[in-house]
Amino acid sequence: MNPHAKLISALSLIAGTSITISSNHWMMAWTGLEINTLAIIPLISKSHHPRAIEASIKYFLVQAAASSLILFSSMVNAWFTGQWDITQLTHPTSCLLLTMAIAMKLGLVPFHFWFPEVLQGSSLITALLLSTMMKFPPITILLLTSHSLSPTLLTSMAIASAALGGWMGLNQTQIRKILAFSSISHLGWMAIIIIYDPKLTLVTFYLYSMMTTTIFLTLNATKITKMTTMMTSWTKTPMLNATLMLTLLSLAGLPPLTGFLPKWLIIHELTKQEMTAAATIITMLSLLGLFFYLRLAYYATITLPPNSTNHMKQWHINKPTGISIAILTSMSALLLPLSPMILTTI
Amino acid sequence: MALTVTLLNSVYLRGRRCRHKILHPLLGPLFSDSVSKLYSSYRRPGSQPETKPSWQSIDFSFKKGIDVLKTQLSMLKKETKDYLVGPGGKPFNHYLLEQTRVLWEFRSQEDLNKWVISSDVEIGGKSEVYLKLGRNNQAALLYGNLNTEVPRDGETKYSGYCSMRAKLPVGSFARKKYYDWSNFNSLYLRVRGDGRPWMVNIYTDPYFSHQKDDLYNYFMFTRGGPYWEEIKIPFSKFFLSSRGRVQDDQHPIWLDKVSTLGFTIGDKVDGPFQLEIDFIGLLNDRAHTEEFAYEMYEKNPPA
Repeated sequence: MNPHAKLISALSLIAGTSITISSNHWMMAWTGLEINTLAIIPLISKSHHPRAIEASIKYFLVQAAASSLILFSSMVNAWFTGQWDITQLTHPTSCLLLTMAIAMKLGLVPFHFWFPEVLQGSSLITALLLSTMMKFPPITILLLTSHSLSPTLLTSMAIASAALGGWMGLNQTQIRKILAFSSISHLGWMAIIIIYDPKLTLVTFYLYSMMTTTIFLTLNATKITKMTTMMTSWTKTPMLNATLMLTLLSLAGLPPLTGFLPKWLIIHELTKQEMTAAATIITMLSLLGLFFYLRLAYYATITLPPNSTNHMKQWHINKPTGISIAILTSMSALLLPLSPMILTTI
Repeated sequence: MALTVTLLNSVYLRGRRCRHKILHPLLGPLFSDSVSKLYSSYRRPGSQPETKPSWQSIDFSFKKGIDVLKTQLSMLKKETKDYLVGPGGKPFNHYLLEQTRVLWEFRSQEDLNKWVISSDVEIGGKSEVYLKLGRNNQAALLYGNLNTEVPRDGETKYSGYCSMRAKLPVGSFARKKYYDWSNFNSLYLRVRGDGRPWMVNIYTDPYFSHQKDDLYNYFMFTRGGPYWEEIKIPFSKFFLSSRGRVQDDQHPIWLDKVSTLGFTIGDKVDGPFQLEIDFIGLLNDRAHTEEFAYEMYEKNPPA
């Protein structure tokens, strides 16, 4: 891509995110969201492949509809209460509309249908941006308005997301779609606790972003986009393969890896809030996700694919792995003992 | 249902008598004699004039509706069961370990019914094409006569093509389904031709209609001898064309959402043609390491 265009897109993404997360007027929040949408469109459609174009069209339509719903909900609130402040969203219609709009932005069930296709159509780095950076502004808005949103609606969307993210991820063979469903499932965990302890949502989001960044960067370094390529990657980069397995298990939420921390704290908080049934249901549903992560990890490391000998040894890989993968992998796997520090600083 | 049909018929007959009522613009399509007026008034020379409105040719039958519903529900049940087994109805390790797969085999009339043949008759040309089972029900024989005579409608410049396309994969309740060929990198065909060159087309049904004419093509050169040929065409060789025009911006085909495969003959030579196909399959050729055979449009691609 033209370096100037790349720079403008990157700066616009940063600008849009900063505008939204630092805003307290609805108009500024909407502006930031729109800037983000428009800035990432050229990144998704960069390769001009029909599937990439299709992904960018789908992304644009969904995000534009969601942004207009956000604007509409803020205007309804301003009409009835005169308040444009994000934290003062009190009118029930506005709250309902905003919940729908944020669910569309994030990809929460039942507005998740666009997410796997969009991720499948974009390159790995763009998919990383879509899964992590583009989720940050809507989660910020959700955080600011969480005290006035309907708990039942959020809980039911969260449980449905965990269910569908686990269920639909089971038969996927394209890695980006699997990561899309993992994202949907994690968003379910983030949404279920936002009413009771918004700080935990942030912790979950940060840890999820870190683990997902690790996975995407590792996949980018080894150019893995489907399961069969993942099966053959141990011959080329055995160390990276082993760390990929650990990161996948961390994303699944297995102790003693980092990914266990948010799940543990969320279950703890839900139980304290007398929501034991919801905690049990969402934990059981994340077992489905655990199954496909385990399967990914198993096929990445333990199986021996039917390769011919000339594929076994490759003397170089195309992309040099930077230090970022090393740092992020260490953090994704080893941060659990530091949980008191994490909780008190975030 | 019978009531609806009589109502529509009576409206149609009444409309034919009184044409100038205010409701005419709204109920116009019901009163018109030919349905093609809904789309455009020009009709291609090869297509038949439509004298019956489309709703008159529907068979309103309650029993048939129930039967169709039962079939669709049983298809849905089968799909759910296949989903529980694994991707494509097979266990996951089968999917990961398979290196060959037979897609279409021609052993009975049912196998032939999965394919559709067409020729330039649809634009007014004179080529003929037929599909039947070969000797001993061991192959399909696609045969006919190619005629490059241009139809005289004032706008067509070229003519003379015959083709055979697989029917689009359809799930329960007429949902679009796709084939996942991402595990493989070559097409494997066992054919016996007559020396004429054929074009193999792959259609990846896009979500939006802007790309509905996109087709990935490559050529299949047959020998014509009495011996069967096993032709391997790697997917990296397929190039993109749209409405028959080869595009500048080329990219490799993505095999995770393939819709149909087709064979076309259009080598501008008048005369008979024959192609026997035993089976069409997929192969994961480990010796083939090429990713894409053509130059991509991007001048300085990232390394």
